[in-house]
Amino acid sequence: MCQILERKVYEMKMKKLCAMLLASSMILSLAACGSGDGGQQSGQDSSVQESSSEQSETKESPAESGSEGGEAENQGPLAGVAPMEDADDPITYTFFVRDPGQAPADNNPVIQKITELTGVTLKFEFLVGDLDQKLGTMIAGSDYPDVIFAGDAATKLMDAGAFIPLEDEIPKYPNLNAMYGNVMKYLTQADGHVYNMEIYGTFQNDVTEVAPPFECGIGFYIQKAVLEEAGYPEIHTLDEYFKVIEDYMEKHPDIDGVPTSGFEILGDGWRNWALLNPAQNLLGAGNEGAIFVDQQTFETSFYQISDTAHDFYKKLNEEYLKGVIVPETLTQSYDEYISKITTGAVLGFYDQNWNFGSAQNLLKADGKYNRTYVCLPITNPGVKDGYLDKSNGIPTATNGVGITINCENPERLMRFFDWLCQREVQDYLQWGEEGVDWNYTEDGGKALTPERRAIAYDTARNRDETGHTLWNYCPKWQGIYKSDNMPCGAGESPDEYLASQSDYDRQFLEAYGIKYPAELFSDPIIRPQYYPVWAMNLEDGSPAAVASTKITDVTMKCYPRLILAKDEAEYESLWADFLKEFNAIDLDAYQSEVDRQIAEKMAK
Amino acid sequence: MSKFQKTLKKAAGQKMLYIMIVPCMIYTFIFSYYPLSGWIMAFQNYKPAKGYFGSPFVGFDQFMFLFKDVEFWRSVRNTLAMSLMNLIFSFIFAIVFALLLNEIKSLGMKRITQTVSYLPHFLSWIIVCSLVSNALSTSDGMLNNALMALGLIEKPVLWLGEQKYFWWVTTFSSVWKETGWNSIIYIAAISGIDQALYEAAELDGAGRFQKMWHVTLPGIKSTIVVLLIMNLGWVLNASFEVPYILGNGLLQDVSQTIDIFVLKYGMSIGNYSLATAAGIFKSVISLGLVFGTNAIANKLGENSLM
Repeated sequence: MCQILERKVYEMKMKKLCAMLLASSMILSLAACGSGDGGQQSGQDSSVQESSSEQSETKESPAESGSEGGEAENQGPLAGVAPMEDADDPITYTFFVRDPGQAPADNNPVIQKITELTGVTLKFEFLVGDLDQKLGTMIAGSDYPDVIFAGDAATKLMDAGAFIPLEDEIPKYPNLNAMYGNVMKYLTQADGHVYNMEIYGTFQNDVTEVAPPFECGIGFYIQKAVLEEAGYPEIHTLDEYFKVIEDYMEKHPDIDGVPTSGFEILGDGWRNWALLNPAQNLLGAGNEGAIFVDQQTFETSFYQISDTAHDFYKKLNEEYLKGVIVPETLTQSYDEYISKITTGAVLGFYDQNWNFGSAQNLLKADGKYNRTYVCLPITNPGVKDGYLDKSNGIPTATNGVGITINCENPERLMRFFDWLCQREVQDYLQWGEEGVDWNYTEDGGKALTPERRAIAYDTARNRDETGHTLWNYCPKWQGIYKSDNMPCGAGESPDEYLASQSDYDRQFLEAYGIKYPAELFSDPIIRPQYYPVWAMNLEDGSPAAVASTKITDVTMKCYPRLILAKDEAEYESLWADFLKEFNAIDLDAYQSEVDRQIAEKMAK
Repeated sequence: MSKFQKTLKKAAGQKMLYIMIVPCMIYTFIFSYYPLSGWIMAFQNYKPAKGYFGSPFVGFDQFMFLFKDVEFWRSVRNTLAMSLMNLIFSFIFAIVFALLLNEIKSLGMKRITQTVSYLPHFLSWIIVCSLVSNALSTSDGMLNNALMALGLIEKPVLWLGEQKYFWWVTTFSSVWKETGWNSIIYIAAISGIDQALYEAAELDGAGRFQKMWHVTLPGIKSTIVVLLIMNLGWVLNASFEVPYILGNGLLQDVSQTIDIFVLKYGMSIGNYSLATAAGIFKSVISLGLVFGTNAIANKLGENSLM
């Protein structure tokens, strides 16, 4: 409670501070506009614009409209960008988004600016209630908005014939063609049409490339204080990992009055990866799924019953017997787990970073930076770690926006999307204005101003004061621009990453001689086309789907028992029981289906 | 006049009553009987895209899948065990609570107790379960602290990690939550008992407990039987939330109920036919239970429900 209160107070203080800073910076920027240094700004824009040839076409029109006195209207941000030719003929498109959320405020300055230059208003409708029901109602009455982003559920709309085909449209628009032209074959559905412009990920193209990850998203996490005290050792194996944890625990039986917990294992409902997945990572795989896939031969095998799994749970069992793992960790709920991490007394766990992010944010808010976590490349001795992914640039073909048959003017909408994908507009939506929202760093990279960073961390302000929503749900550039190595957005900027770190974290990274934590790992792996197994669709009610559920069931049941075995003899007998139960599953049904899908996807 | 004609004549005389009952019958038909046509799914390999007419019939395959699976029978056992324990204990607690409450002479005290006792009914199971798991925690949990202070145990017990405790945990969570609420109906029944009976008993020299035993209890006996029969019909439906929320891998063998099984193997993987088959299985068993109890109640000379 107390922490929450403190955080509230802190947030309020931050908000006040930010509001003041924002107000003062707005006054300053207004003054800057008045003094007429628009020339300098547009000079910068045009140098960037030349970098991508596709945009030269759109560049012709600004000269025309500029000569007609458009200059006077279009000052400030986007000064060098030509308005769309029908900008003074307002049009509104309705846009359904499958996420729960809120539409940006009507007075959002960025979106207002975009509307001013294009005449286009997107009226966002976010999900309330159940997505399947919502889409079902839409389909039943053919009552579609103009644009829909439905994520995976888009297949339903495609089956119902809700979308217009785009394969002949996309090539007409230079920016959209640059973005999707090279991956059209992956976007094409079984019926030969493209219905979707994918919005998440960097796809194979000539303008951008995939940004390297700054942090590892999944794996064995350890508290930074543990590494600090151990003298920043390089840790690669489970034995080394638990050794430093044990040493720290011995010296610090409690942290800030809370008994120290060496290692937590969350196994609450669908959040079961800490219990089920680590063995595949020890074998060198990424976050693959319920089966191990050899990356050379694509042969599959069940890591759940491998020697690695046997030894891993044995190790956990030893740690339990030593008191490093408390048994309660296996019965706790997600909320209990999070509140435990928030105390700062948990030294390690296996998790995915978004899952415990809320706890880590509270630790940061409390200034306990040494109690935050870093992920380590732990594998079997001698095995190269495969934790880090680099996108293979292949779209999923469902995770995008589609234009529906009800849209009256799809041509203008496509033109609008294309217009948004100009470099200047993209920069404006993601970064805002130079000097106000972001600055060049000494190294020539880009970083947000502290005020803008505070806005970015505040969901409501980010929605109402920046172009985030518009950017997020429309076709967009992601990754690093190949022409000048500039990041598309703040999340992809190493300079922004560094700037957002605390002094403690900078010092921590320095001690390891790295720029960001992902450098502790081997280079990111570009995954083959089929990857990953967990995203594969199993036919409803098929034997493969049943087997997959059984695999989860049996492992969820048996692994905790193994961890809590009383001694070695009991461990071995429980392991034998587990093997018997696991092998009783119709494993072949699952494995052959996975094999089939891998072969199918690799042949594409 | 034949018998049929007599009946017709009688019905004509009650025309208004029949007209009034028609909306209720339509309602019952639409919402209770018409959906039964969906049972056809259980004998098909139903795919929503193909509908009832396009999905292939598979006979009793879905039922065979259920009956062959050890997990399913384990779920049936767990469901029955938890529901029956739940039923028995919540009955006993509710009745005893109502009897005791009835003995409180101070009206204010009685009202406060009653209100306080049924408040937990309005909490959602999510909240109750997190209270329970807090109380049972090994680190600073109420129960472990109390038992250790009393010297009954030496180190904390992992209540939610041991299979033998789980059914008791679910039973007492729902006793805690529902006792007050369940007792309301008994309190109402008790207040309907003729006061003259108490006075007569008093004249015969009955004490407090004797009055409870010989007057109050027989007075609410028919209420008890009716409620018992009605509740038995729900036995197989009444165990989803608590086992689902408090269950974990260690407890799976004792915490997985039919509903959880159906959720995992039916709904989650899109096998609606299997879910329907399990639903039919439950309905048949429940019907059997209700008729069985009804027959027993009849034999015992109680007012039965049907």
